Amino acid sequence: MVDKVYIDNPGALKIDLMLRGIRLDGALEGHGLFKGRAGNGVDIILPNDALVNVPCGDEYTLASPYLLHSSGKHYTITAPKDGRGVPVKVVKPPSFYSEYTTTGKAFSDIATLHGSYSAITPKPVCELFNENAECRYCAGGFDKVDANPVIYTVDEVLETAEAILKEGTSDIIYLSMGYSDCDDGGIEFLAPYIVAIKKHFRCLVAVEALPPKSNKWIDETYGLGADSVLYNLELFDKELFETICPGLAKTIGRNRYIEALKYAATLFPNGTVASHLIVGLEPPGSTRQGIDMLTSMGVVPILPIYRPQPGRALRIEPLTTEIIIPVYRHLYKAVKENEINMLWVRDISVVTTPSEGRALIGEESKGLTSLYEQFYKTKLGAKTAWGLSTLRRKLRVKDTKGLVDSSKN
Amino acid sequence: MGVKIDRRPIWLLLALKGLRTFFFIAIFAAFLYVVWMPLPDGLTPEGKNAIAIFLLCLVFWVSNIIPLAVTSILAMVLVPLLGVMPRDVVYGLFGNEAVFFILGAFILAGAVMHSGLSNRIALAIMERSGNSPKGLLLRIYLLAAILSCFMSEHAVAAMLFPIVFEIAKGLELRPGKSGYGKLLFLSLAWGCIIGGIATFLGGARVPLAVGILKETTGATIGFFEYSVAVMPIAVIMLAIGYFVLTRSFKCEITSVAKAHAVLEKRIHAMGKVTYNEYAVGAVLILTIIAWIIWGHSRGLATIALFSVVVLFILKLVRWKDIEEYVNWGIILMYGGAIILGTALEQSGAAYWLADRLVGGWITGPLLAVAFFSFLTLLFTIGISNAAVIAILLPVAIGLTSSFGMNPTVVAYAIAVPAGLAFCLPMSTPANAIIVASNYISVRDMAKIGIIMSLCAWIVFNLVARYYWPLVGIQF
Ligand code: SF4
Repeated sequence: MVDKVYIDNPGALKIDLMLRGIRLDGALEGHGLFKGRAGNGVDIILPNDALVNVPCGDEYTLASPYLLHSSGKHYTITAPKDGRGVPVKVVKPPSFYSEYTTTGKAFSDIATLHGSYSAITPKPVCELFNENAECRYCAGGFDKVDANPVIYTVDEVLETAEAILKEGTSDIIYLSMGYSDCDDGGIEFLAPYIVAIKKHFRCLVAVEALPPKSNKWIDETYGLGADSVLYNLELFDKELFETICPGLAKTIGRNRYIEALKYAATLFPNGTVASHLIVGLEPPGSTRQGIDMLTSMGVVPILPIYRPQPGRALRIEPLTTEIIIPVYRHLYKAVKENEINMLWVRDISVVTTPSEGRALIGEESKGLTSLYEQFYKTKLGAKTAWGLSTLRRKLRVKDTKGLVDSSKN
Repeated sequence: MGVKIDRRPIWLLLALKGLRTFFFIAIFAAFLYVVWMPLPDGLTPEGKNAIAIFLLCLVFWVSNIIPLAVTSILAMVLVPLLGVMPRDVVYGLFGNEAVFFILGAFILAGAVMHSGLSNRIALAIMERSGNSPKGLLLRIYLLAAILSCFMSEHAVAAMLFPIVFEIAKGLELRPGKSGYGKLLFLSLAWGCIIGGIATFLGGARVPLAVGILKETTGATIGFFEYSVAVMPIAVIMLAIGYFVLTRSFKCEITSVAKAHAVLEKRIHAMGKVTYNEYAVGAVLILTIIAWIIWGHSRGLATIALFSVVVLFILKLVRWKDIEEYVNWGIILMYGGAIILGTALEQSGAAYWLADRLVGGWITGPLLAVAFFSFLTLLFTIGISNAAVIAILLPVAIGLTSSFGMNPTVVAYAIAVPAGLAFCLPMSTPANAIIVASNYISVRDMAKIGIIMSLCAWIVFNLVARYYWPLVGIQF
């Protein structure tokens, strides 16, 4: 059963690859493109243009039924036991990964490209690690507990954003934040970065932070220029949330996550408020309940698949693609039923997006939907999204004193 | 944190934004239509253009769609551009005495406030009010009125507001519910409004009216002469105001003993009277005496500016301190209004307009005073009082010339009621300030404000009819 492969269905193949990873053909071992990919994976474009970040080099991937071959510049994924294969493209790491800021910091340390978006963490520190209360699955590299943590300056982040946008693949910059003991969920710290990026570039900015104590900070987040916001609940099951995310459960609490998401969904444009629910950390039924609750509030659930790490085997076993596919189908249906815009959360290499779930129920995007999807992938589409988002903010935000003003100095 | 989110539907927000653009296009189209339309009988081309500019400014002043000062700048630009008056004359009018008097008055008031003198006087007077609620009310009312005779009523309201607010809190009055709370804040606003009409210093309206009057007719009104004419109106209105106030809301407390603790704390925090306070007080008193004695011969602005120089020679203020108190927007607004008024008068447009609008049925001075004072009181409910003067005075002066009426009278008939705005928060900053306290609602204010406006109209006309001839103001 475990050896069932999905070579013919790109939607299911994406999930299966994310879950089980890929092995490399002998000829590719040691190839520059794949060196040191353990923990990071390799970005591959499947036949339906779906981008997927496939684990490769990690121990558990050695059992994967999939093998990546190359002949010249062409790549194929095959399932040796099954004998079939599909042509794929391997995405080269962006060229800015090998470049540095003027202060000598590697861009690859500051930002990570995930397809249509790039994530920047100006302060890669999470205070929960200090108290041994971190989320047990956390693999964000936030554990560098240090008296003088690295904090990238606004200028360094701006240089990085410029390099990302020049590369041309990402048009959304995600600014993320670990836990810090404050009422604002980290937005006060991120404010100068958001404002500076908005001031210098015509790109969309998403903020991945922690729910602030009061909704005023959510208003502030929108007013500052964030086009999207993510408060990642990660687990819907209350008890598992408390066990796996003890720090967040104690300091913020599940209820506040839900309240903040609900409020943000009334403020931000449709489809731009999202929350992660990690598939594999709780029973699928619980994830489905989470999907229902989030979508009923207008929040887009983003479902990353848990990738086990040494010493952190939290996965609900057995986790197979057969178990996961119905969850993604449910995700697509719930998002569609609640009329949530699927254009924002798209082309992400590390998750199957709601719109990609469409392929799993055998539906195709047609007519206007397909036109919109194609349009927003173009440069003009990205500019239009930016323009509409900016216009909306101009109409909605009446008073921009406070944090916004501080940027004008 | 300072972000406010407008949650109305996006289509509505878009429509409102579009409406603004549409509004500007429509207004400028109408403006161009008036400029290009055939010349009406009895009007010069300059007069027609002056009317076009006047109508444009009228819409902008009334709608407040752009700041009042910017509308005035627009008038300054359009008058020479459309050939109504040469540009050297236009910009020369900006150097009008009224404009410099306002500047001097702002600086003097700024010095008084900066020194802390006004605050100390206010606290000292209130502190001596005893324990009777009505006594405290009367002190606040009269104090606001008296201070507004010497400095801008807006500044007085802003200065006394925090003190009254603390008193209300000290007395544990419930915002929106307490009758005495409403009385305290209304007495503050009404005192400022009524006191503000008594002298040239209460607001910059009177100097503006005098500026327009002087540029268009050559006539003027002196500092002392004005107060002699208007003081009875202020006194009668103060009495009526107190009567209306004390009957409109129930006073639910019997003692204001707790208020004294608040006042004492503030007085204590101020320390001893400083040299600066004495000196600024002396300069202010000498300035007022000089205005009364030499106002006519030397000019009010000259005296005001001389006092300003003295303040700096004596190092009583620094320019940095003063800049906070000088409202350059008002100064620009007044300069533009004077230019527009002069353009209407000199091009013959004011006379033509008045003749067409009301010439047929306003046949005598008394009717003119009754009509314009009523119109002013009506306009001033919703429009800035300076804008009301800028709109009505040139037209009214145009009318007076048709039946040989003294233009000074009509200047009074507009300048004085323009200050008597009791009804709404947008009528005058004093009202807006007290509504911000949450102790008084717009409804409460409007309900009794209408009664006060009506009384103001009757009192003004009675004083004009029976008292002014006694002090030499002939119709
Ligand atoms: S909040 Fe949890 S998931 Fe986020 S960085 Fe901290 S430990 Fe990791």
